[in-house]
Amino acid sequence: MTDPMVVQTPPSPTVSAPRFIMTLATILVAILVLLAVDAGLARVDKKETRSVAAIEYQVGTRLMVHGRVRDAIDHLRTAASLDRDKPAYTAALAEAVLADGRPLDAEQLLIPLLERVQRDGAANLAMARVLAKEGRIEEAKSYYHTAIFGLWTEDAERNRTASRFELIDFLAATGAKHELLSELLPIQDAYPDDTLMRKRIAQLFVMAGSPTRAGEIFRDVLRHNSNDTSAYIGLANAAMAQGNYPEARGYYQSAQKLAPDDTAIKSKIRLADSATAIDPTQRGLPLPEQLQRSRNLVQMTIASARKCLNAEAPQVAAALDSVSRSLMVQSSAIPRNQAIEENLSLAGAMWRMRGGRCATRAPNVDEALALVQDKIAQ
Amino acid sequence: MRRPKFPRLPRFKTPRPPRRLIRLVEDLRRKEDRLALVLSLIIGALVGLVVVAFILLTGRLAALMYPAGGEGWRRVLIPIFGSLVTGYLLYRYFPLARGSGIPQTRAAVFIHDGRISLRSVMGKFVATSVSLASGIPLGREEPAMYIGSGLASVMARRLGLSTAQMRWLIPVGGAAALSAAFNTPITAVLFTLEEIMGDLHARVLGSVVLASATAWMVLHLLLGDNPLFQVPGYHLVSLAELGIYAVLGVVGGLASVAFVKLLLELRARFARLPGSSLWIQPAVGGVTVGIIGFFVPQVLGVGYDQIERVLNGDALLKVVALLAVLKIIATAVAYASGNAGGFFGPSLFIGAMVGASVGSLAHMLLPASTAGPGAYALVGMGVAFAGIIRTPLTSVIMVFELTRDYTIIIPVMIANLIAFFISKKLQPEPIYEALANQDGLHLPTGTFRSSAGLWVSIAIREAPLPFTPDMKVDEAAEQIGNSDFESWPVSDEEGLLGMVRVVDIQAATEGNQRAVTIATIMRRARPEGEESAPIPHVHEDQPLGQALARMGDTGHNVLPVVSRSNVRHLVGVVTLTDVLKAYGVERFTPIRPRPAIDI
Repeated sequence: MTDPMVVQTPPSPTVSAPRFIMTLATILVAILVLLAVDAGLARVDKKETRSVAAIEYQVGTRLMVHGRVRDAIDHLRTAASLDRDKPAYTAALAEAVLADGRPLDAEQLLIPLLERVQRDGAANLAMARVLAKEGRIEEAKSYYHTAIFGLWTEDAERNRTASRFELIDFLAATGAKHELLSELLPIQDAYPDDTLMRKRIAQLFVMAGSPTRAGEIFRDVLRHNSNDTSAYIGLANAAMAQGNYPEARGYYQSAQKLAPDDTAIKSKIRLADSATAIDPTQRGLPLPEQLQRSRNLVQMTIASARKCLNAEAPQVAAALDSVSRSLMVQSSAIPRNQAIEENLSLAGAMWRMRGGRCATRAPNVDEALALVQDKIAQ
Repeated sequence: MRRPKFPRLPRFKTPRPPRRLIRLVEDLRRKEDRLALVLSLIIGALVGLVVVAFILLTGRLAALMYPAGGEGWRRVLIPIFGSLVTGYLLYRYFPLARGSGIPQTRAAVFIHDGRISLRSVMGKFVATSVSLASGIPLGREEPAMYIGSGLASVMARRLGLSTAQMRWLIPVGGAAALSAAFNTPITAVLFTLEEIMGDLHARVLGSVVLASATAWMVLHLLLGDNPLFQVPGYHLVSLAELGIYAVLGVVGGLASVAFVKLLLELRARFARLPGSSLWIQPAVGGVTVGIIGFFVPQVLGVGYDQIERVLNGDALLKVVALLAVLKIIATAVAYASGNAGGFFGPSLFIGAMVGASVGSLAHMLLPASTAGPGAYALVGMGVAFAGIIRTPLTSVIMVFELTRDYTIIIPVMIANLIAFFISKKLQPEPIYEALANQDGLHLPTGTFRSSAGLWVSIAIREAPLPFTPDMKVDEAAEQIGNSDFESWPVSDEEGLLGMVRVVDIQAATEGNQRAVTIATIMRRARPEGEESAPIPHVHEDQPLGQALARMGDTGHNVLPVVSRSNVRHLVGVVTLTDVLKAYGVERFTPIRPRPAIDI
């Protein structure tokens, strides 16, 4: 005896062959009819589902704007699961999850999406944001680049520009000056008619360590509109970054004339004055004045460093004090030029050391000192 | 109750196809392998299309009942309305379409010679569609399996196939349906073999695989290539996590047992209610679901969207724990009260919520060395499936197939096995078997087919004329005469009551108790304090080894062979001598057992 479930010998058929054929033919026709019906139903279903998903997406994005992140996640999740063909839904969901403080979950959402749509702009931008939040700077940059050159289903140009500026802001925030400059150069002349954009680019050139380029743009803007306060301020900032404090003061004053009540400009003028007053490298200064300013700079740097080192490492601060005194005594025995050089070098070394340990700066005094130190370091 | 009849379709005279085609078809019918191949493809396509229609129509119906931004009252009234409609349909038109469909499918294979009526297939389609669309928290997968199996059965009958072929096509249709309904072709094959056939090496494997793959392709052709759940790639964060996954196995196993026991207990209680209340019983489920759903809408429906949320880490401990408890209650009541639908989907929901609860707690206590709750929800799905459905291999593969995530295999295997063993220990009877038993069906267990080749059917012989309970022992002794039977069946007008041993009758007659009745002898043979005893029996399709073991357990060298659909229906008897003969061992000296009772 064998397994009752297994057919061992072909049983004799109970219907005739023609009947068998006709039944089989009927079944095949039924399959074709069902296929047509199902295809129609599936089309209707897909259309309905997509429209529901679009509504959910809109609600989700609106809630995000209003800061209701948890509710937004619910709606965006529904949108993303109803219409998986739209990467923008999953990308928006990932950003909401990121805003909810769950970068790892957001990353996990984006990984499978990016496997499917590697070049999708929205997905790459979302991933870049997630990685930026996680502090994975190099990977974030790579995703930003893919977003800039990736595929966008709508508003491609606007989205690409937005992605590029986001990357630029990210690079500025992380202090990656060279990369920032390389991102700015291609768009330097990209917006000839957009003054706001040009001024923004110029400001970023200042941050990227290219104040000359920034100055050129601001001057060009002022050629077209000599009453542009922010262009004067930008030009002044560029001059400050170049170490040209008196020129900067002049531009700030021009801005002040246009906006006399602006206290920020007043404070900038004071800063330019302070920097002018302590800058030992300023052109046209007599040698004794230069030497005196270089000594002052060392003392100011020591004083600034001591302010924070006293609290953090008092022994180191005291030791620094004594070393600098002895160096100052020694500098009186050597030629003035050499003494100025050595003082500036000592001040620079101390400033760098201070920079590594002290996060805070005293307003105005330290800011002016920082400007001069930056100029010397250049 | 008189059931309305469907109008018969008019019969047309069959046109005669070309002779060459007839020869081809006759050749096909002679070669079973080829016929199996063709029919598997056709069943796969047909069932796949029907299941896709089932999914889409149910979805559309649900969208009509619950429009976006719909009012709160819908969540209360629609489940009640849906359960009333399905209750009436099931009571009046489709009584065989009640429940999940798995026990019915198995009954079709093992009892009804592969017969499932078209009416019950249609009933299952309509009733389940209404039930699920109205928010009853049951799943579509098992009903789809029944629909698929039924279509295969109907097709086999229309094609004039033999009973054996019809039985062989049932799992083929079932696997195709599960593949399309669950979007899991491998799981469909494994579940069909593991649960429906009870044999992973069944000869229908090839046909089952082919039909499952065809149905899956149909699904993808029409609904696209997306997994049921989009899940992030979870990994084991630290080895210590394995311990937490083991804890999840324990918790999930206990939750599964709680669900199964609650469901079976409630179902038994509903079964004790008068038959005339059958049509209103599902409304109890509808009311329960409506009340819960009004306050916690996530409990409504099968809840796949909620599962996806949790799988993606949106899990607040209090919420997921509450959802696990409420879903257990809602599903158990809805199913037990007689609504149409299965518990594949709800099992996943319960598992995901239990997993997310354990995961949230673990992540709260050990954030650095544990993954987020989503990973535990993923493992939890398999855990609940292993604990409730009790198909361990299928539960492991299912998790991977549903999510297409293969990175968390070890935790899934560990947790699933723990849940499986806990469930087996605390609830020895698997759920489908228990449900079948509640319906009076004695279906074979998953392991019964493990013995190779030797079945009770080869040793069966005609039963002797049974004694009646009121028969005196001297009459019985006279009837026994010179017979070799060492035990004798006893039956009343409703069927078999039990077995009585010949030595006990002889002892009574020798002890001058000739007026004692057979009922008394049977009562004396029972263990002290027990009012009734189960009828010792075997079925035709059980292995002979099992018959031997049962002879040892009961002390009867003769066992009645009974029907699977009715244990009291005596088909024949099997004797120890016949069993030994079947094994090729001659029983030279019959062992005369001592009397079991002192007279």
